[in-house]
Amino acid sequence: MNYMFAQLIREWRFMLTQKYILVLLLCTLVISGFSVWSGLREINQQEQTIQRLLQADEQDRSETQAKYSDPGYLAYYSFHLTYSPPSAIAFAALGERDIYPWKHRVRMLALEGQIYESDGQNAELAQTGKIDFVFVLSALAPLLIILLFHDLYASERASGRHDLLVTTAKSGLALWGARAGVRFITVILCLMLPFYIGTWISGSSLDSVLQVSVWSILYLLFWTLLSIWWGKNASSAPRVASGLIGFWVLFAFIIPILGDLAIQKAVHSPKGGDILLTQREAVNDAWDLPKETTMDAFTATHPKWKNHVAMESMFEWKWYYAFQQVGDQKAESLSQAYRQAAHQKYDLSGYISLISPPLLLQRQLTRVANTDALAAFAYEQQIRDFHKRLREFYYPPLFKGLNLGRSQLAIMPRYKPEAHKTKNTSTTPQLH
Amino acid sequence: MIKIQKINSVIEASSLCVDINTPPILKTLNFQVKKGEVYALLGGNGAGKSTTLKTFLGFNIPTSGNAKIDDQEVTEALDTTREKCAYLPESATLYPHLTARENIEYFLSLANIRKSQDDINQAFQKVALQQDAWDRHMQTYSKGMRQKTAIALALLREAPIFLLDEPTSGLDPVAIDEFNHLVRELALSGATILMVTHDVYGACQVADRIGLLRNGELVGEFDAPENGRIDTEEVHRAFAQKESA
Repeated sequence: MNYMFAQLIREWRFMLTQKYILVLLLCTLVISGFSVWSGLREINQQEQTIQRLLQADEQDRSETQAKYSDPGYLAYYSFHLTYSPPSAIAFAALGERDIYPWKHRVRMLALEGQIYESDGQNAELAQTGKIDFVFVLSALAPLLIILLFHDLYASERASGRHDLLVTTAKSGLALWGARAGVRFITVILCLMLPFYIGTWISGSSLDSVLQVSVWSILYLLFWTLLSIWWGKNASSAPRVASGLIGFWVLFAFIIPILGDLAIQKAVHSPKGGDILLTQREAVNDAWDLPKETTMDAFTATHPKWKNHVAMESMFEWKWYYAFQQVGDQKAESLSQAYRQAAHQKYDLSGYISLISPPLLLQRQLTRVANTDALAAFAYEQQIRDFHKRLREFYYPPLFKGLNLGRSQLAIMPRYKPEAHKTKNTSTTPQLH
Repeated sequence: MIKIQKINSVIEASSLCVDINTPPILKTLNFQVKKGEVYALLGGNGAGKSTTLKTFLGFNIPTSGNAKIDDQEVTEALDTTREKCAYLPESATLYPHLTARENIEYFLSLANIRKSQDDINQAFQKVALQQDAWDRHMQTYSKGMRQKTAIALALLREAPIFLLDEPTSGLDPVAIDEFNHLVRELALSGATILMVTHDVYGACQVADRIGLLRNGELVGEFDAPENGRIDTEEVHRAFAQKESA
């Protein structure tokens, strides 16, 4: 043990004499630090936005409730903020939070259109991307590893030192093992140190930090072993580097791009805009349809109100909200197909990730951070559940023609996001 | 006084065949180097000199026959046999961003050998490396100075066996004389030395025995007379004859 420790110390001192390695490691530390800072800033902004919107939402609803007692008007003018708060460790993997919306202000109108109305602009947002820790780790760290390890053997061979080193060293492990070990440990420290500081600032759970650490170290180990193996018998460092960069392009770009193309080709999905259009057309058409047609479609799914659909005037709120609901019902099959396709795409990309380590790492880390597509799907479902509770709250006064009193308003459903295990509210041990 | 580990060291090649490419580089090579002996393998380009040395260092695996160091098969006891050998490559490029002293310390640490600064200074003096260069970065060194540093390293390892690959290549005549003197001193101290060279004169100056190598085969051997040196003319003639055959 002491012997191996001495070898590591020697190689550590030797590494400190190599300026290009020190510059490379410093760059790694700076890039990792920037990604963590940028992620923390983004998450902080999202949390502030949520807080600001929560206050505005509360005030807006209070004003509406002071102004109206008729449930129809109240439901029409009351907005409800729904949101998916970022997990404590989301700063490290922002994931799909810049593609899928994480906040919606919903009303008791047809819901599907409200969910998918931002689908068009999110595609553009997705192109800009963000430099978060998982990006640095999955895309940039392999390059750093390649730069650090590609010439482990080749530079010694090219300079004529290899044979002298090998015959002088007590064992291969004492030389190559210690040299590679020191570089590996240092690169991990440079990459992970800013991350650990970030987890301390954000109060991430120990469980999530451990998971990210294990995946990250396994991923870096993969690239290190690949770089060492590829360069073991080579004498030309540039040739080794070229080959390794080829692997990087293959794993980080070609496989994910081809995989995405294959998935798009294999899985057909309606667009968010199609759902929005179908639902809005159904709502618009309802104005010209006989009221019985709308009410029949409504009571088919809500038989409880069958005896309360008779109308005494040309316009009644219950009919208005019934055709909103029928609008959702008409878009239901499209919405289902959309969600099913999204799940299918997510599952298929899981298979693709098995042959693309960068994709696999992103997938695992966004899962831990609850920022992946599954988290977005879960949030959508939470909105639907909340909208259902809202309808169940408003339907009795709407269909029975009653006003809403203060006591009833006090029990109006409030949106509460589901707690995620990596949040501060977690029962798992905290870092501080 | 040069310190050498006490072992009955010999280097032995018996029916040694190394087949990396076609035709084989070494074909049934037989020779033996006794303890305290300097053996020079002499041959032209492509004769198999470096291959022989690399086989004894364990970089080439014999196709057949044996390559033994101190009665141990090299391929079967790689770490042990390497530990007994100090290797001096033809072009000893140590780390240019380190000083000679730092290079020596690094390589000794690799071999798990502890030496005092005095020992290192003595080794530098022994190889006649000028004192003002000891703590200078080696990127400013001439080839001869680098070679001297590598020789100092070999001495400090106190190995009983020295494997030298074209050891005087790049050295000036004075340094060659100093080196030859050093090699003789090593042999007197009990070290076994196998050197490969194409320098007929240099080999005759220092070797107790010379083996002529051609196309991977030993085609002649010359022994030094008692208290004398091998006749350069004779070796030169044989070398030229064999090379032109």
